[in-house]
Amino acid sequence: MSSREEVGGAMEPSRDLIGLSPEPLSIERVYSSAVSPSCGAVALFIGTTREHFEGRRVIRLEYEAYEPMVQSELSAVCRDIRARWPMVKHICIQHRLGLVPVAEASVAIAISSPHRCEAQEAVGYCINALKASAPIWKKEVYESEESKWKENPECGWSGNS
Amino acid sequence: MTARVTVLYFAKSAELTGHRSEVVPLPAATSSGQLWALLLELHPSLAALQDQVVLAVRQQYVALGDQALLLADGDEVAVVPPLSGG
Repeated sequence: MSSREEVGGAMEPSRDLIGLSPEPLSIERVYSSAVSPSCGAVALFIGTTREHFEGRRVIRLEYEAYEPMVQSELSAVCRDIRARWPMVKHICIQHRLGLVPVAEASVAIAISSPHRCEAQEAVGYCINALKASAPIWKKEVYESEESKWKENPECGWSGNS
Repeated sequence: MTARVTVLYFAKSAELTGHRSEVVPLPAATSSGQLWALLLELHPSLAALQDQVVLAVRQQYVALGDQALLLADGDEVAVVPPLSGG
């Protein structure tokens, strides 16, 4: 029972698209990268920047990354996803770097599969794995001009503060 | 034997040391714990990250401890504070 039987038209190879860019994220482009004629679902996750943290107003966020290692870590996440959900077709992960204004998208993940269950589960897994393993760091800058490097609880060496 | 290694500093570690990268001669055979101790000698301000840091050697995460490491000229070692991607 292979997906070949479901497809009209040529079988396109599955792809993993991992990108980092200082440009504003285009949700349309992320979606277009994942959509496939062999799939009935694209599941999407968009992470956006929040205005408040612990009562303080955030005026901007700054992201930096160990870029070559982000590629290798997220490629490994894609391999894990494909091992757990073999029906997944395309995976697109885009993360913004540099200055990100409040209430804009910082990360977008789109995953396609023939039926929605796999895509939805894979997207949930993907953002958790990204938060645990991608060498990306976010600094919140507050109204007072104080700033704080954030720590994901998913990361194994985060502090308890 | 020493290896000329590029040490990369990210996020808080870059602020603490005032560097983004530097070339450091390091022992070719060492451990992750010893590597950290050497970096602390170079930049005592890194102590603020104690218990909340790992290294990435040739783009593989390594916890601080007895893990044996072999380093060669041109290798990259990154100081990795807690992650906050996504």
